[in-house]
Amino acid sequence: MVFSSLFFIFLFFPLCLFSYAASGSIHNKNIVLIVFSLIFYAWGEPLYVFLLLASTFVNFLAGLFIGKYKGKFLDSFSTFFAVAFDIIMLGIFKYSGFIIENINLIFHSNFNSPDIHLPIGISFYTFQIISYVIDCHWETVTPQRNFFKLLMYISLFPQLVAGPIVRYSTIEKEIDSRKVNIKDISYGLNRLIIGLAKKVLIANNLSIVVESMLGSPHNSTFFSAWFGAAMYALQIYFDFSGYSDMAIGMGRVFGFHFDENFNHPFICRDVTEFWQRWHISLSTFFRDYLLYIPIFGKRRKYAGLFLVWFCTGLWHGASWNFILWGLYYGLFIFFEMKLGKKQIKKIPLFIRHVYSKIVIVIGFGIFYYEDLGNLGCFFKNIFGFGSNGFISSSDKITFVNNVYLIIAAVILSFPVISLFKKMSERIYPAKICISAVSAFCMPIILLICSIMLVDATKNPFLYFRF
Amino acid sequence: MPDQSNIKKNESFELSKSRSNKRKKRIILESKISIINTISILFIFIVGFLFLLVFKRDTVSNEENRNLASFPEFSFQSYFSGEYTEAVTNYYNDSVPHRSFFKKIIASKLLTLKGKQYGNDRIVIYGSAASKDKSDVAKTTSISLTSLALTTMKAVTTVTTTVTTVPDINNPAADGMISNNIVVVNKRGLMLFGGSFANGQEYASSLNEYKKALGKNVKVYSMVCPTAVSYYMPENYLDLTASEKENIDNINSYLSDVKPVDVFTALLYHKNENIYSRTDHHWLPLGAYYAAKAFAKDAEVNFAELNSTNYDTVSLPGYVGTLYGYTQSADLINNPENFVYYIPKTNCTVTRYTTSFTDGYSDSLLLNPKNMSTSSYYMVFGGDEQITQVNTSCKNARTLVIFKDSYGNALVPMLTSSFENIYVCDMRYFDLNAISFIQQVGATDVLFAMNTFSATGGNHDYIEQNRVK
Repeated sequence: MVFSSLFFIFLFFPLCLFSYAASGSIHNKNIVLIVFSLIFYAWGEPLYVFLLLASTFVNFLAGLFIGKYKGKFLDSFSTFFAVAFDIIMLGIFKYSGFIIENINLIFHSNFNSPDIHLPIGISFYTFQIISYVIDCHWETVTPQRNFFKLLMYISLFPQLVAGPIVRYSTIEKEIDSRKVNIKDISYGLNRLIIGLAKKVLIANNLSIVVESMLGSPHNSTFFSAWFGAAMYALQIYFDFSGYSDMAIGMGRVFGFHFDENFNHPFICRDVTEFWQRWHISLSTFFRDYLLYIPIFGKRRKYAGLFLVWFCTGLWHGASWNFILWGLYYGLFIFFEMKLGKKQIKKIPLFIRHVYSKIVIVIGFGIFYYEDLGNLGCFFKNIFGFGSNGFISSSDKITFVNNVYLIIAAVILSFPVISLFKKMSERIYPAKICISAVSAFCMPIILLICSIMLVDATKNPFLYFRF
Repeated sequence: MPDQSNIKKNESFELSKSRSNKRKKRIILESKISIINTISILFIFIVGFLFLLVFKRDTVSNEENRNLASFPEFSFQSYFSGEYTEAVTNYYNDSVPHRSFFKKIIASKLLTLKGKQYGNDRIVIYGSAASKDKSDVAKTTSISLTSLALTTMKAVTTVTTTVTTVPDINNPAADGMISNNIVVVNKRGLMLFGGSFANGQEYASSLNEYKKALGKNVKVYSMVCPTAVSYYMPENYLDLTASEKENIDNINSYLSDVKPVDVFTALLYHKNENIYSRTDHHWLPLGAYYAAKAFAKDAEVNFAELNSTNYDTVSLPGYVGTLYGYTQSADLINNPENFVYYIPKTNCTVTRYTTSFTDGYSDSLLLNPKNMSTSSYYMVFGGDEQITQVNTSCKNARTLVIFKDSYGNALVPMLTSSFENIYVCDMRYFDLNAISFIQQVGATDVLFAMNTFSATGGNHDYIEQNRVK
């Protein structure tokens, strides 16, 4: 079920909201959330919903064992077993085709790829469940003794299929006790609308520009390669951060406080900072859980770094371009580490901005082309070796046809509105004015998005496929 | 005398009281704003919920010329495969009450905010214009429909025929008929042509094989029809599209003993008339008339000139064709055109058969447009999934077999004074061996009539497949 659809916005969500509001006690509210979350997941994955239940159950048991045998062999064994189980499940359902494809390529063998489709959201909920088990092992959280409460954490529909990767510690207390006031509901609904608008008004329309610029790399020009990749960066940002906004907003309506997943990534001054602002829940997951594994001894720092970026790439998809994309970022972060923070700060700010944006734009070009032949063509175009010249009339027309959309997307990708809001905090009348205007505008934006949704049935969120 | 310190205390108490009151007031004001905000948003949710649940859902989209998604039937198999829930969602999202009204708002009010029309010609590109066949390597690429995000395009009509003249993306036959690369310029939709010299050569070779197999007594003609892009694309933007003329010339250069019909030039003379639809990917009947005239000349047969003695003229206003469905262009939906067609006054007997030439039944030459949506007037010429036999009052012992795509349909009424018998077959829906069929019906002339997208795209494969079936 896609958030940005009439079915979700005007049927599933209102029904869930109504049932939740009418359910009284926190116990009943939790039941409502579990039931709606399972319906939500089963709607898209009628069979794999059992995989979700099985995974949760295995990790629930592991949590119980970890809690019972603290510090003993069974503690470590349960942790190892549960994490291995989770990774193997992810491997089977997400990577088996890719692995067999590459084995066939290397050994000239002829194994058939298994006919398994990627369960929606498996990458996200597997990481959540891994973080739970490891946190139990590290004693940063208390193992949950009620299966259904753990199931609610894993299956909570706002964040189930496309993140953010919520840590158990973030909502541990809120499972049993959460309070919602009118400000929370208002904030949550507004955040939901902002996310919806990012997706429906900006990302969906940018995708047409991107398709026009990058869709046929053999005919792309120097301009369309650069501009298309930049627009793709913006499209993914509005698509994915829009989804996160909707998740955070709905979570808040139900009384959960999820951490932010994006923090205006395009204002970064270097690549390291970009990843501190982009898909924060994934970067922190790898930082906290993968870098810790002492498998590289003294060389851990750099080897671990490339392992993290290899995994970041692989996590995004079972395709070499994603791995290349991850390692590409790893390489720049490695250089930045080698150079050191002090040295980097000495470089003029303007140059740092230009450098980071160039790296990011090329990075999204790599992200776009799953076909390595097309990727090669993209590189030719972007470095000026393409045969189609600097700019075509198609590029010019597409640009002018979408000029206001592009300007709006660029402006809104920077923290203009939040800066404006922050400044108004100091002057009370201004703050009230902004609140009133926003209270007035949000329903209108919802209305506009709803109308746009009549014609947006074919635009699933991009991060669904990861 | 009041104690000085007491006064100060009182003052500070008053001050803190007024501050606390102020804070309280502010909190109340902020809460009020939150309440109003929440209520208005919830109101929209409730109205939307009721509107979509209670109001009568649309079943047909006239502008897009298709049936909207219907509610699926439940089965355990469809449920566990995920198809059922997907179809329910699709039904809910697709068959929105008053869908056309909302689509019109999107097209004419919302999407126009994205940017500006380009240049004096007010050009807008829909889809990617970057698929033009430029490089030598790309000569073999053909335009594909697969990326076009459209659901099945079924003709919406109550006419008894079960066919479609608009492309169906689930059917490979549609490949090459229309691309997702459309520009709207001067209130006219134009499909950008990709072209393929290699496919053109294959097309020509297939026709040569037909000629060889049919021998001396059967004349074979190739009529590759250009589309509107060749005539109405402003010169500044010609680089957006490949040349249809060059592709037709390329085809003609490979034809051997097959007569090419020069439709390109015939239409060029009349480009200022309404020969092509502005809102549809087809030509208009007037364009087909000039093409038929050129063919009749090459075939050395009589031809009924367009006048009131030979034809009745019918004009259907409000025509907005397929290109609106593909582009959602405000320029197209807000500027409908007249669909003018001509009914020949000669007597004809028309029999329509299945694609295996069985189960024939009598029918009229042209269908009644009364029951058609404004976007499907092209359906008056009948559909594609059939073989049509027209027996005319012209007694010249000439029998014509036409293998065509949807462009060919409009030619038939114009040839009713030129051939005694006409068999109209759609090459995409033909279940027999074409050579045997041509011989079986005793054809004297065989015309391959299709647009450039078919001749140089995936559709050209059908010609060869039908020959060797």
